[in-house]
Order: sequence, then C-alpha cells, then structure tokens
Amino acid sequence: MTRILKNRWVDYAILGLSVFLIFCLIFDAYIELPNLVAWLGRWHPLILHFPIVLLLIAVFLGLTGKKVPDQLLVVAVLSALVTAISGFFLGKETPVKGDLLFWHQWLGGGLALVASLWYVLANRGLSGTVYTKVLQVVMVGLVAVTGHYGGMVTHGEEFLALPTTKKEKEIPENPVIYADVVTTILDDKCVSCHNPNKKKGELLMTNLEELLKGGESGQTLIPGDPIKSQLISRLHLPTEDEEHMPPEGKAPLTQNEIEILERWVALGASDTLRFDQLPKSEPLVVLVKDLMEPKAESKWEKLPVVADSTLQNLASDYLTIERMAANSNALSVDVYLPPEYAAEPIIALERIAANIVELDLSGLPIGTVEMDFVSKCQNLEWLEIDKTPVTDAEVKKLETLKNLRLLKVYETSITDKSIAVFKNAQSLKNLYIWKTDISQSALESFKNEKPGLSINYGINPEIEAFFVASDSVAVSK
Amino acid sequence: MKEEEKNNENPLKVNRRHFFSQLSVGIGSLALGSLLIPDLFKGGGAQPLAQQPLGIPHFAPKAKRVIYLFQAGGPSQFESFDYKPTLKKRMGEDLPESIRNGQRLTGMTSGQDKFPLMPSATNFKQYGQSGAWVSDYFPHIAKIADEITVVKSMHTDAINHDPAITFFQTGSQISGRPSMGSWMSYGLGSENKNLPSFVVLTSRGKGNSQGLYSKLWSSGFLDSKHQGVMLRSGKNPVLYLNDPDGISRSDKRHLLNEVSQLNKMHHVETGDDEIESRIAQYEMAYRMQMSVPDVMDISKEPESIVKLYGEDCQVPGTYAANALQARRLAENGVRFIQLYHQGWDQHGNLPNAMAGQAKDVDQASAALVMDLKQRGMLEDTLVVWGGEFGRTNFCQGKFDPKDFGRDHHPRAFSIWMAGGGIKPGLNYGKTDEFGYNIVENPVHVHDFHATLMHAMGLDHEQMTYKYQGRRFRLTDVAGNVIKDLLA
Repeated sequence: MTRILKNRWVDYAILGLSVFLIFCLIFDAYIELPNLVAWLGRWHPLILHFPIVLLLIAVFLGLTGKKVPDQLLVVAVLSALVTAISGFFLGKETPVKGDLLFWHQWLGGGLALVASLWYVLANRGLSGTVYTKVLQVVMVGLVAVTGHYGGMVTHGEEFLALPTTKKEKEIPENPVIYADVVTTILDDKCVSCHNPNKKKGELLMTNLEELLKGGESGQTLIPGDPIKSQLISRLHLPTEDEEHMPPEGKAPLTQNEIEILERWVALGASDTLRFDQLPKSEPLVVLVKDLMEPKAESKWEKLPVVADSTLQNLASDYLTIERMAANSNALSVDVYLPPEYAAEPIIALERIAANIVELDLSGLPIGTVEMDFVSKCQNLEWLEIDKTPVTDAEVKKLETLKNLRLLKVYETSITDKSIAVFKNAQSLKNLYIWKTDISQSALESFKNEKPGLSINYGINPEIEAFFVASDSVAVSK
Repeated sequence: MKEEEKNNENPLKVNRRHFFSQLSVGIGSLALGSLLIPDLFKGGGAQPLAQQPLGIPHFAPKAKRVIYLFQAGGPSQFESFDYKPTLKKRMGEDLPESIRNGQRLTGMTSGQDKFPLMPSATNFKQYGQSGAWVSDYFPHIAKIADEITVVKSMHTDAINHDPAITFFQTGSQISGRPSMGSWMSYGLGSENKNLPSFVVLTSRGKGNSQGLYSKLWSSGFLDSKHQGVMLRSGKNPVLYLNDPDGISRSDKRHLLNEVSQLNKMHHVETGDDEIESRIAQYEMAYRMQMSVPDVMDISKEPESIVKLYGEDCQVPGTYAANALQARRLAENGVRFIQLYHQGWDQHGNLPNAMAGQAKDVDQASAALVMDLKQRGMLEDTLVVWGGEFGRTNFCQGKFDPKDFGRDHHPRAFSIWMAGGGIKPGLNYGKTDEFGYNIVENPVHVHDFHATLMHAMGLDHEQMTYKYQGRRFRLTDVAGNVIKDLLA
C-alpha cells in the first residue's frame, strides 16, 4: 500500500462524492440548481473521456492479473464520480427527461458507484479476488452502454446505429405533406438536437403541437407566415450566423428541403394536407415530386465501374459513348450511320453492356446480331430502334430487358405480335409505334389494357388535318 | 554542323550563357509570381466539379439538346401570349406614371409627350387544358397549347436590340463572351462526332430586320471549336461539300494528314492552342463532307411531314425549312441548334407586319414540337421560342388602331418552351393589368439561362471558365434555376 492510500482525505472525498451522487439521483425532482452549478454541468462532455479511458485501463490490468497502480485507481474513481455529478447537473437543463437520458443518467451514476465499490474492495485487500473480477466485468459493460446512450443523446438515436440500417423512408404515392414529408426532413436534420433527451433552445420538434408551442426564442412556427417563423428564417441566415440552423458541423438542409418547409408553412402548416389536394401550379408539388423520385444517380450506383480508356477504345466518329453524369458509370450510347455499315463496333460494346442505360440505334440497318447484343444490356432504360429493319422476331428479344422505360420502334414493320412483348414490359412508360404494321384494333385494346403507358401513335389526326389545311392564318387588316 | 544550319536554328533555342542569364530572372519571377498569386502553381489534387473533364453533365440531364427558335427583334407580347383586356377598356388613355414609374425609354419614344395605351391588334382565345391565352395570329401554336409552357414574366436589362440580343445569347450586354450554345458545347461536348455541336440557321421575315452578327454565336474566350457553325440558308448549306473532279477521298485524306503534320510542328514551336483547334476544324470539315449532305437532304422527308411544316419548308432559307432542318440536325445528335428569324421590330405598321411575321413562324414552330413529340424526341429536346425583349403597351407615333407601332420594352415579355425537362401546359408568371410590370414569378434572363443549363444537366454555378484571371460563367454572378418550370 502506497503513501497516497494512507491519506484518509482520498477516502473521504470518494465517500463524500458517492453520497452526494446518490442523493442527487434520488432527489432529482426536488433539486434546483444555482446558475454557477448548472454551468459546471456544461463541462460534462469534456471530462467524461477521462474515466472511460482510465477505468478501461484499470480493468484491463485487473483482468489480466496485473497489479492496478493505486494512483490510477484513485484518479479513475474520482474522475468517474465528478463526471457523473457534472452529468447530472447538465441533465437538469432538460426539464422532461426522455428514455435515453434517463438510462444514461442511471447507468452513468451506477458506473461511478461501482467504481467506488472497487476502490473500497481494493483498500480492503480484496483486489484480485473473484468479487473484483465480477465488478470489473460489470464496469466494462456499463462503460459501453453508458457511452452508447450518451452518444445517442448528443448526436441523435441514429448516430450509433449501424450505417447499413440507415432507413430510406419511402414516401407513399399520395403523401400527407406533414406526416410523410415534413417530419422526414425534421427527423433527418433537426430532431437530433430537439428531442426529449436534448431539448436545445427549449424546443421540441418531434410533433406539430410542440413546434407550434415554440421554444426559448418565441414562436418557431407561425402558420401562413414563413418569414416570421423562425423555423424558416433561421434556415435562410448565412451559415456563419450564430442563429443559423442547423448549427455549423451538422448536415445542412438542401435547397429543396428548405423550400418544402417554407411552402408548407406558407400554406398554413397543416397536418392533414395531402399531396393531391394541392393545385397543379403550387410549387410544393414539384418540390415534393422531386423528393419522391429516386435520384437517377443513386439508381445507377451499383453499376460496374468502367474506365474512360475503355470508352475511348470503343468509341469512334460514328459511335458516341457518354457518361450520363459526372462520376456516373451509367452510359448513353449513340450510333450513327457510317458510310460503310458493320455490326462489329456495336457487338464490341458487349463488355460494357451492363453499363448502357440509353442506346440509340435508330436509322441503322440492324438485324439479329445487334438485337442479341441489345437483349444483353440488362440495365437499358431507353432504347431507340426506330427506322430500322427490325421485325417482331427481333422485338421479342427485348423481353429480357426489365428496366426498359422508353422504347422507340416507329417506322418499322412490326405487327400485332409485338404487342405481347410491350404488354409484359413492366417498367415501360413511353412507347412510340407510329408507322408500323400494328392494326388499329389491336392498338385500341392494348391502350385499354395498359392505361399507365403513354403510347404515341403519331400526331393527333384532328390537329394534323388543321396543320395540313392550307393558309389558316387570320391576317387582320 | 554546317554554319548555315546553325543560323537556321530555331530562334527559341538558346546557348548556354544565354540560358543561365535568363534562368536567374526566370526563377526570380516564378518566385515572385507565386508570392503574388498563391495558387499559381497549385497542382490538380481533389478537383472541384468545375474542373472535372468536360463533356459530361454534372448530374443526369432531362434534356440532351436544345432547339432555340430565336425571334430576333422582340415580338410583341400583346399580339401573341399576354392577353390584356384592360388595354381595350382604357384604349387611348395615357399610361399612368405610377405604372411607368420613371422607366427609361428608347430614343424613339422618349420625345413623345403622350403614351396612349393601345390594345391588341388582334383577338385572343383560351386553348387546351392549360387555358393558355393565344392570339389569333398564332393558330397553330394555339393547337399545341398543352405541350408548351408560356412564360409571361420574362424581363431583361437591355432596351436596345444589340445589347439585348447579345445579353440573351451570351449573358452579357457587352460582346465578347461565349454564346450559350458554346457553353453547352464546352460543357457537354458533341453527341455526333461528325457534326458540330452548335449549329446556327438564319432566316428573314418581311418585317423590319435588325442585324445578326457572328458574335452572337461566337465562342468568346472558349476554344474556337465551340463556336456556332452557321449553315448557309441557300441551296448548299456548306460550301465545297463535294470533292472536286479528279480528287478522291483518299487523296483528300492524304492531303489532310500532311497539313495536320505541318500544323502540329507549328504547334510544338509556338505552343498556340488555337492551332490544335484549327486541326480539329479541318478534321470536322472532312467528316462533315460525309454526313452533312445526308442530314440536310430534306427531299427524303415524306409528304406528310412536308405538309405538317407547311409547303414553305421545301424552300431553302425559309423559317419552315430551317425548323425541319433543325429536327433533322437534332435527330443526328447536334447539341444546340439555334434558329434566328429576323423581322420582329414593329415600331410602325404593327398589325400588318406582326401578322406576317407570325405567319412565317407559327405553323413550322408548332409542327416542330409535334414532330419531335411523335418521334419521342420531345422527351429530351428542349424547344424555346422567344425574342430579346417585349414591346410597349402604348403606341409609338401617331395613335391609329389600324396602323400603329410599339417600342421596345424590357420589363415584361413572353416566351414559350416545350420538351426536355420543362413542365408542359403551364402558364407561368403574370404581368399587371397593363402588361407593363411583372406582378408574379419574374424570370430574368440569367434565371432563364440557369434553368436551361439545369435541364441539360449542368450546374450554372459550376460551369465556369477561367480567363484573364477570373472565372466566368454564362449567368455572371446571378441566376436562379426556376424550379416551378421543371417537369
């Protein structure tokens, strides 16, 4: 036993702090803190790392059968107690404690007390016994769980969740603007600081009632008046501004998100407003739609990587390969008719077939070989084979393309047989089939069967007749 | 080495003594330079979007090409798309000063002591689901009301033709900046390597014509391969397309190879990048010989298409012919096709002249939209129709409803757009009851440019080019993407 331990004041300090901590935890509801003491609480995030490290070192030494230096144990236990108490002070700033904070507080307090117990046991010469080993194991668990809860309190519940479980909340077909859109944005960008565990600026943003109630700096949300609503005005402040939300270091809202919140407030911040109740001209329609549609880039994220040099080797004056966007592996391929046509350059594209999402072969004398290649482009979304000699047999090969969204087969000699292929194409949205051998009757029944598909069968005959009629301009004299 | 050869040495080569004497100055100025301009020698490193290899959009685009039907001179919104019944009610009354609010006038009307309100020279009706108001001058465009978006709240900074058209084309009233087509070519490259990425077609109406100059489609400080290639409006769109008698393709190829060798040597000596541009242009010309005759050959179009665009489309050099040509060029992968139709400057004789101008463009413009639509090309082709500014709601000169004129008006005018990335069937923006000031959703020329670029997958703030020590962009330091217009 070293000199320090003989100093009784260390014992008294640990005993005193433990008793004070227990008192605090039990009489939580009756305690009101003076300002200065509350300020001490703000030091909690700074000092909490000491006990975590020191206790873990001590436990590690203890469990591996090494001697735990007494100084280390003393400092670890004292810092654990101070941290727990300061944490308690900090916690008092949140009037209504949420589950996270509640557990964090009790587990943290417990940890400090268990550490004190270890100190007592060590003093009694019981270090190295089974009792201390059990305590040490318990402490490792407590450090982990307390730290975990603490992290979630400061950074939001999602913070320590596994990154893969980051849930992409699907927005339904006809969303309720508040419940499906606004809350998604708030949850994503605001709630990590304005939740029951961490009520920054006295403001809760977990439900509309609380939002309307507002926080420290008055009314957060004034329905119909986005300019006066701090929820909106703070978003527009320059990022350097103290008042700007979210504060520096946190993910800012996108322009689209800001505009959605703004329009929602301007329209009265209703919690029942549905998407289909909005007039067509309302900007919110576009904004929400933008949010609903998956970004093209993310859709193409999984495509295999393709090098620029590969593209350069495959391209020629008559064959253009472009990336759909910067840093995207999705490709758009246009082929133009060279003086002497050969299928080889097109077939050579097979090695990048998975990357091709747009392919334009219109006007080329393509046949079976080329169409075999096309059928291998699994990610193809946009295909132009208009003004080509393709027939029903070739179109049938398109059955393998599950992502096909737009298909141009006008000015070809396909017949009613091909309609079966179009019917089965689940993703098909636009079809251009004028000047083909498809019969009017087959077309009509097809149209009825697939109301969601936009079939272009040339210019509306009524309008065309008007255009073709000679001189229809009224010249007023 | 012979004495003679020594003297013929490249003047850029220096002897040892010369080299060292220059070296000290050289290193000194490098050091000074890096002190004055800290990032002078900064390497690549993590490149911002703006410096990434060009020829690729920033994000997935909605439109891949633009057909811009430019109505040079400023068509009157009061006889086209901005219906103002108040003008009829208050016909002949003086424009209230509270509305004009001290706005400057051109030299042509600044001498007038009265500004009598003049109603539309023609009637308006509403069309389609969108209920767009279209004047009787544009019956064909009226038929496609649901395909187009009419923007009635365009405004610009300039009040006279030259600065206004230069502003619309280049984002600056002072010439010298790259045209918007050049920016697109620079940012997105070409789709068809055998055709230029930016093509210009011109036609002339019967009305009062303002000049068109190549500076409007110049590439400014961008590499000159991005400048607009103007196709001639006569029978031969490109001169010397055919090889002369006795010269075979391979002879031509051989000649080009030799010329390009010489040019490359010259480039090594001088380091002038414009020489590379020149080499590229020769190659482009060679390839155009193969592809242009085919693209420009309207005779291959079926009867139904000719009827759609109007019989005029068979007469080379007309607006209708150019419109059809534009579709063929778009089909063949030209990125930016700009048509100019002159004659929209009705300072006098407006009812007659405007009717004539409208007749020039009405059918073919609408036909182009429908034709693109049936080909599935409206999905990714953005069509724009409009001039450089609007016209005054008061009459210029003598007050005579049968024969009057309107002066230039920059504060509010109408354009329409269709296709790629733009919401169809929308009426956007509103002017006051006099059609003088914008009261809802103004769209500045910079906003228009930003929106156009957005549709093409370009971020107008990232599309910059560093020149003479600063970064330039089409939208200068302004411009907002008008999201309401986007599909």
